[in-house]
Amino acid sequence: MDSPGFYELSVHSVPDNINTAGTMVRLAKRLGYACIAITNTSGSCKLETLSIPEGIGVLKGVELSTDNASRLHGLVGKYINIADIIVVRGGNEDINRAAVENPNVDVLLNSGSSKDGGLNHILARSASDNNVSISFDIGELIGHRGGRRVRTLSSFRKDMKLVRKYDVPFMLTANARCIYDMRAPRELMALAGMFGMTYKEALSGLSSNPQITLSRKKHSKNYVFDGVEIVDGPSHMIKEEGDRN
Amino acid sequence: MKVLPPTMRENKRYIAFELISEGQVGREDFIREMFSASGSLLGDFGSSECNMRLFAFEGLNGIVSCEREHVAQARAVLATITNVKAKRVAIHVLGVSGTVLGATKKYLEGAVIFSPEE
Repeated sequence: MDSPGFYELSVHSVPDNINTAGTMVRLAKRLGYACIAITNTSGSCKLETLSIPEGIGVLKGVELSTDNASRLHGLVGKYINIADIIVVRGGNEDINRAAVENPNVDVLLNSGSSKDGGLNHILARSASDNNVSISFDIGELIGHRGGRRVRTLSSFRKDMKLVRKYDVPFMLTANARCIYDMRAPRELMALAGMFGMTYKEALSGLSSNPQITLSRKKHSKNYVFDGVEIVDGPSHMIKEEGDRN
Repeated sequence: MKVLPPTMRENKRYIAFELISEGQVGREDFIREMFSASGSLLGDFGSSECNMRLFAFEGLNGIVSCEREHVAQARAVLATITNVKAKRVAIHVLGVSGTVLGATKKYLEGAVIFSPEE
């Protein structure tokens, strides 16, 4: 079986939960992930002290969760240089909107059901323009049964329609809070099939889409902002510009 | 009872899995939880189509059989199992095979159980 390299960009560890980053990484490797991002709400995780087993990449991320849109922009600015990946936990209309309109945000997680905000055509278009990925939290399907799962499935089905129409980048995640929440990529794909995602789409949501998101972050050191790049200049200036992103 | 001729038999797939759990889990409890999860996700109708059976279950490894066309659903059902008798569990599918022997040989023999502590 050819493994395309699976990415899981929302994993929590100590202090968000009881399992250490090391345990989560070892389990992720076991489940067949090529790369995971530890996204604690406080942004704190000491990856430097972590002994990372061979064959898996670990990124430092942060999950931002706030009710205030202007505060969100402030937080994004704070973490942009520290974190490899910035995930925003959505929920209400304001936060969803603020997240998809900020090109520095990488992932919008849990945009909520249609009743309390949720994804709509305006947000989907912004997300597509600003390259903010919509993350389908499969953990919601695993953790709940009955009414709540039914609503989640139908809201995912609706989101999928928007994602297809506006060509929004999307990904799948189990959003694991402890080791028993984590699932292997193929299990996530099977669950994604439950709300109408095709095999191909689910595969790209776990491999190529996160890869593209991450590669966009890794700019060359001559990069200033979109469309502007230092072609030639004194070496100290290039270094300065490289530090900025 | 007459055994059905091979062409009339259902085509099966055998899913080998490992249990990542807080402790040992009983076979009966696991079966109950699996059918409950299947009933919840697929409903009675979907469960009958998928036709999942626990084939073997030993220690923290096992094999579930299902209909050939419904492997994805069976995987989804296994993924939604979170608790067995108040013990937290997660199921990791190791592989799918066309025969029990194949599944055992390829995926279960010599498999090392994942332990959170190290």
